[in-house]
Formats: sequence, structure tokens, C-alpha cells
Amino acid sequence: MRLELRGITKRFGTFTANHRIDLTVEPGQIHCLLGENGAGKSTLMNVIFGLLQPDEGEMLIDGVVTRFADSGEAVRRGIGMVHQHFMLVPVFSVAENVVLGFEPTKSFDRLDHQRAREEIRSVSQTFNLEVDPDAIVEELPVGLQQRVEILKALSHDAELLILDEPTAVLTPQEIDALMAIMRSLAASGKSILFITHKLKEVKAIADVITVIRQGEVVGTAQASDSEAELASMMVGRDVNLTVDKVTVSPGEAVLTITDLVVRDDRGLPAVDGVSLTVRAGEIVALAGVQGNGQTELVEAIAGMRHVESGTITVRGVDITNRTPREVLDAGVGHVPEDRQLHGLVLSMSVADNLVLNTPRRAPFARHGSRNLAAVKSNAEALVTRFDIRTTSTQALVSSLSGGNQQKVIVARELSRPLSLFLASQPTRGLDVGSIEYVHRQIVRQRDDGIGVLIVSSELDEVLALGDRIAVMHTGRISGVVDPSTSRETIGLLMTGAHVEPADA
Amino acid sequence: MSIDVRPETSPTARIPSGRTRGIGVIMLAIGLFTALVFGVGSGFSAHSSLTFNPVSLANAPWRVGTLTLLTAWSNVVLGLAIIALGLDVLARLPRRGVMARFGVVAVLFFFALLLWAARTTGPSQINFVNLTAVLIGSSALAMVLVFGSLSGVMCERAGVVNIAIEGQFIGGAFVGSMIASTTHNFFLAAFVGALVGGVLGLVLAFLSLRYLSDQIIVGVVLVTMLGSLSSYLNLQVFTPFPQYNTGNLAPNLPIPLLSKIPVIGPVFFDQTGFFYLMIVLVALVSFALFKTRWGLRVRAVGEHPQAAASVGIKVIGVRYANVIMGGAIAGVGGVAFMASQGQFQPGYTSGLGYIALAALIFGRWRPSGAVVASVLFGLSVYLADNLQTYQVPVPTEILGMFPYVITIAVVSGLIGRVRPPAADGLPYKRD
Repeated sequence: MRLELRGITKRFGTFTANHRIDLTVEPGQIHCLLGENGAGKSTLMNVIFGLLQPDEGEMLIDGVVTRFADSGEAVRRGIGMVHQHFMLVPVFSVAENVVLGFEPTKSFDRLDHQRAREEIRSVSQTFNLEVDPDAIVEELPVGLQQRVEILKALSHDAELLILDEPTAVLTPQEIDALMAIMRSLAASGKSILFITHKLKEVKAIADVITVIRQGEVVGTAQASDSEAELASMMVGRDVNLTVDKVTVSPGEAVLTITDLVVRDDRGLPAVDGVSLTVRAGEIVALAGVQGNGQTELVEAIAGMRHVESGTITVRGVDITNRTPREVLDAGVGHVPEDRQLHGLVLSMSVADNLVLNTPRRAPFARHGSRNLAAVKSNAEALVTRFDIRTTSTQALVSSLSGGNQQKVIVARELSRPLSLFLASQPTRGLDVGSIEYVHRQIVRQRDDGIGVLIVSSELDEVLALGDRIAVMHTGRISGVVDPSTSRETIGLLMTGAHVEPADA
Repeated sequence: MSIDVRPETSPTARIPSGRTRGIGVIMLAIGLFTALVFGVGSGFSAHSSLTFNPVSLANAPWRVGTLTLLTAWSNVVLGLAIIALGLDVLARLPRRGVMARFGVVAVLFFFALLLWAARTTGPSQINFVNLTAVLIGSSALAMVLVFGSLSGVMCERAGVVNIAIEGQFIGGAFVGSMIASTTHNFFLAAFVGALVGGVLGLVLAFLSLRYLSDQIIVGVVLVTMLGSLSSYLNLQVFTPFPQYNTGNLAPNLPIPLLSKIPVIGPVFFDQTGFFYLMIVLVALVSFALFKTRWGLRVRAVGEHPQAAASVGIKVIGVRYANVIMGGAIAGVGGVAFMASQGQFQPGYTSGLGYIALAALIFGRWRPSGAVVASVLFGLSVYLADNLQTYQVPVPTEILGMFPYVITIAVVSGLIGRVRPPAADGLPYKRD
């Protein structure tokens, strides 16, 4: 299928998400759409997929102007989409998910499970995508769930496959497998539109690269272009992709975790006997595929989750099962994974959010009443120092961009003396500029002799920041390695394989 | 943002063993209580009689003799049976069927309670239990609860919480009485009741789907409104014109031969048309929901509306249709209740709509489960209403609490873990 976009514009109120976008995907081509978070990639995909209607411009399929009323029509016309958040019903079987909306039936509207299974088997065989049609989707690993999504699109005879940030939840090995699938699909004549912000993946797979920034196409690039060239196109200026670090020798242990067991919301052990030490002046980066206990581990340290057994100490002080307030008082700064849920009170001002961790202390409060002048001057100082872009310190924090919201949290947590700085997914959803900034702050804390524990599902970030890298798999630390370790080895550790530790 | 999924664990492994252990302990306690208080406590000379002949002998060409039991020993045996079930749960910590076992324990407990209440030299003059009458009386209540919980299944499987079932009962009962009094046609009454219930469903759907109002609040408002409106109309219409609200007991339609079977016949095969309609509806909804294309789409809408929309299913349309159909089923349930009482009275549904919701949860959002739960809850409501006859020295309100206590236990995850449709009660907005 040949897809051509001509001058697509999509506005939300006064905000223009896509401005006069031109794009052509040729049959059998892997076309990468590269752009930062918030550049308008997802909006454009939703326009192509019929979930949104463009305000201007037209879409041509094989040379014919086309407009989809809804995504069902897009699917029938041969466009398949693999969403970032899988569009799968977790409690349904693979077969039920694949046929949903296009079900084969017998008399009385009954589902024809036999035919559904056969259809899936034949598509599986054609494209070499093995999945058990009777497996329940939620019981499958993420990589296989994604395969079900691809299978679903192919079973609807998709000629153009849109993959929206498909690698975010995959292990390096699963990413390799996905790339192989994409190549073989393109070889069989399918067109592929691959959306991502990861430069490595683009270079590995793209036939053509279109870069978009702030809703506009800023140019096309070649896979042979260097990462730095791609990054500066994407961001609009030169960026420093590596984190500058001087070597420092770590001091005494600030965080000591011993045989920690923590349960998840369903009562299953999510952290299953973890022991880990973070020393003053070092960054320990916790890597792993999401959902392997990292979230629960951080929540347990921060006092947000009950510890079943084991101990957590900060500079010798036992903080196991203490309240978040006691943990903060022990000298722990915490940047939570979900900044809007746990990091900020969105309906409060920037100034109030900047004192959330110390609202009852002098100088911000005295005798139970707040000292608003001190809150304001504190906010003004931090806004300047951390370069928080806001119209005023009294503006609602919800009106800030994601990057600036994150800066508010980082500024607040670093505005008091710390022993341990704990940051979970510190750069998720941030633009490259903000990522650079947050990374520099993290390294600065380390240089000042603070122990830093960061959790990230981005392997690049882990490798760039960590002085030591601990890899988690199914609630256990599968290895602690040096940042010079190869990606392949870390990838293996993320799948739980046993690898001889280089440096424990 | 991405999806957290933990591989290599199955969802059946979700009930913590501590909770199951707790249930086992509760069962043991109930068993001990039954054996000691209802058994030993009734004294070893007391005996209880069970009779089986229906009150109306029209369809009973048979007579079954009276069964006289020694109260103490019978209840000790029942208590030991409950204890055995409790021990089994404690020993094996089963992952499935804990709720079903608890249901069995509840039935045994109720039976022991009846034997104890009807013992000779007990507080009351009545020294027998007419088991057939108990079952017939409970079946009328269970029927109404099944209509209500089926309504809930229809709505909640599509992702809309219908807490207005009580209001749909009231609306159905009111117009049902009016139509049945004037036309003496229960088909027409049921049809108009369905219409009223459907319109109430439409209001709920419109407010919660079009304006994304909180479904619980809209539902509660509807119940309150219908309660007051029906009281007012009752005063304005039925009080001055009682001929519009009288003589509406639906006739029994005995099924030839089957209705003549002792005990089972009068309970299952000598019922009103509403009872048979209920059975047909349970089968129909069960089949449609789990075997058909329609059902797959409804469940997809209730579990993951975005996924359903991405393959072209009209989420809002499915929800409208299901909430209206659910409302209609509850409306018929209201007419059925009215027809089992003979007339409309303000406030006489007394929370049955909420108990039906409880049955829906206890029945794990399945029609078959809802039936089992409705039978259990119908029995407990019936006993609560009728134990006064036996002058039981326990406030009957305590027994009336049973469905709610069970529901709290279920919802809090004490008895097994129930899992509602993932998008249940959540508003859906098309981008």
C-alpha cells in the first residue's frame, strides 16, 4: 500500500498539534517517524487511523483521496495499528482478541471458535509468528502480547502497519525479534510506519526517516546519518547525548537493603529477597523490563508500600515500614515514577508544590499557620535556579509542560540536604533538553557525595548514568554489573539468565 | 507510559492464602455455633418436624408424611458438617470454589436455624416447618432478585454500573399494577413495565454516557426520585381510586405432570408466568453473553472500550443498548414483584434492588452465579421476614443483614476475589 499525506493539519483549540504534514510511505518500505514526546507523532497516527479527523489536508491511499469515519473503516481498508498501550482485552483469549470486530459466526450469532483458531494458525504460519490461539492474553509476556497485536492487524489483511513506540516495554532480545518481524513483513510487501524517539532503533531499521518537531516536518534523514545529527534535527539544536562524568570514589554505604520482600497490589511477592547497597557519591542504576519489581522496590524504600520482611537502612537508621514523612526526614529525596499521581498536587500552585515535602517546617510554617512570604521567596529562588519555565510561581502546576513539572519535583527534592536521592523513571516523557538537564542534576548530586539510586527502563539512560548497574528480573537482582558491560549481557540479565557478575 | 505486565503468573494465583484461611476459621466458628447453640442449646428432648405438603393442595395429589427429627442431634450433625467444610478449606486452601462452599455453609446454617426455631417446647406454638412453603416463599423473592441481577449483568458487562435497579423495580411495580388492574393482562403489564424500566435505563445511560456524570450518583438519584414519585402518585391515584391497584396476583400456570412431583413440583413447576420468563431470560442472557458475537463485543466494551473502538465497535451504542435492555429487565422484575404481592405499595421493595446488586457481585457478574446468589439471598430475606412467626428471640433484622454482610465480605476480598469488568463504571470518551 502506498500512503500519502498532503498538508495534514490538526488543531486542538488554539494548539496546533500537526501543521501541514507531508509524508509518503511506499509499499515494502519501513518509514520511521522520529520525534520527541509531544512532537505530534501520536496525533498524526490517530488521524491516519481514523480516530481523529484532520482540520486540513488530505490522505491518499494508492493514489485515491480517502477519509475514514472511524478506525473500523481504517482497519477494513487495510491499515493496521500496533498501539503503544496494547488494544487487547486482557481476560480474552488470543483468538477472541484477534477476531474481535471481525468474528466468524455460526447460526444464532454464535462465535465460530474453530474457524477463528484456523484463521490465526494460517496467519501465524504465513508470517512465522507463533502464538497459541487459546492462551489468555494477560498470562502472556509483553513481547508475545505485542505479537498478538501484530497478528491482529495482519489477520485483518493490513497492508500498512503503524507501530507506535513499540519497543518501550520490550527487552533488548524482544526488540531484536520485533525488528526481524518488521523486516520480514516489509520484504513481503507490507508498508510499515514506525514511530519512535529512540535513535538507535531508527538507525537499525529505517529505509526512510521523517523527523517532526513541534507538529511540523523538519526534514528527512538517512539511516546512515549519525545519532548526533538525528538528535539535533529532532530537538532543533545540538545536544549532548553522553553524560559527562568524572570518576569519583564512592564513600560509605548510605542505603543498605537486606533480603527485602515486598508484595504487589495483588498480594504476590514483587520484590523477592533483594539485597543492594548504594554508597555515598555513586549512582546505582536499576535496570530491567517494567513490572519486574522495580516500582515496588522504590515504593518500599520511600515508605509508600508495606515491607513483608527484610530491612532498609539509610546511614544506619532503620527506615523499614516507616511513614513517607519519616523517610523524608531520614534524608531521602524521592522523585516518584508517576509524577502527576505521586509527585505533585496538580490543582495547586508551583510555589505550594515546591514546599510539599516541608510544609509544616520553619520557615514555611510557624505555629500551625503558613508563612506565604517564605513560600513565595523559596519558589522564586528555585524557579530561577532550576530554570523552571512558568508564567508565575502562583500558576497551577498542571499548566506546566511535563519537563517543567519534573523540574518542579527535582527542585523540591534537592532543595534540602540529602543522604540518598531516589529517582524512578526520572526522564520518562521528557524532551531531550529536559533529559540533559535532569541528568546533569543527578550527576551533580553524586559529585556532592550523595548516594543516588535511579530506576529506568531506558537502557541508554541506565548505561549513561550508572556507576554500577543492578538488573532486576521477577523480583530479584539477577546481576550487578559495570556500565562497560555489553548491552547483550545486560539484556540477558533482564531476561533472568545467569551471567557471571563483573563487579558485585 | 507503558503497560505493566508481569509475565509468568496466572491470575488464578491472586487470592492470598491468609484470606482463605480466614474464611476457614469463620466457617469453623459458624459450625461450632450451630452445633452448640442450635444443637446442644435446644436441649436433647426437643424435636422438630418437617412437613412437605404445599399449602394449596390443588396440584398435590400426593401426601408426604411428616419427618420428625431430634433437634439437638440434627443440628449437631449439621454443625459438624459445617466444621468439616471449614476444616477442608483450612487444610487444602483451595483457590477456587471458596465462595460456593460458603454458600453451602450458609444453607446448612439456615436449615439448622429453622429446625431450632420450630422445635417443640420452643418459644412458639408452631412446632413444624413446612419446607415446601419456605421454598415457594423464597422462590418468589429469588425470582425478583434474579431479574435485578440479570439487569446488572447486562449493564455492568458493558461497563455501566446500574445502581438504579431499585428504582426500576419501583417504576415497574407501579405501572404494572395500574395496567394489570385495568386490563387484567399480565403480558401487557410486563411489557409496559419493561418500557418504564427501559426509559429509566435510557435516562441513566444518557446522563452517564452523554454527560459523563458519575454513574453511581445518577443511579442513586433515580432510586430516590422514583421512591418519592411513586409515593406521591400512590397518594394521588391509588388512594382515591383503589380499583386501579388491586387484585393483581398473577395466576399460577402449573406445568402438566411436572407440577405434580412432590416438593419440586410446587416449587419449580407451579409458578407464575414471570417465574418461567425469568428462567428463559437467564438461559438467554447466559448464552448471548458467552457464546455469541454480540456477547464478545459487549464484554470487550466492558473490559477495554478503547480496544473495542479500535476495531470499529460502537462503544457508546453498545452501552446505550445494554443499559436500556438491563433497565427493561429490571422493570419486568418490578412487575413480577408486584404480581407476587397482589398490588403496589410505596416502599415495599425495601432494598431488593440493592440486594440484587449484591447477588450480581456474589455471582461474579455471571447470570448463573447471580441465580445461585439470588437463591441464597432470597432464602435469607424470606427467613428474616418470616421468623417472627416462630418467635425467635433474635431480632430478625440481624438475619436481614445477611446479604449485605456477605456482599461486604465479597467486595473486600474476604471470600475469594471477585473481578468486575475492568472498565465497569468508568466513563468512556472518544478522544
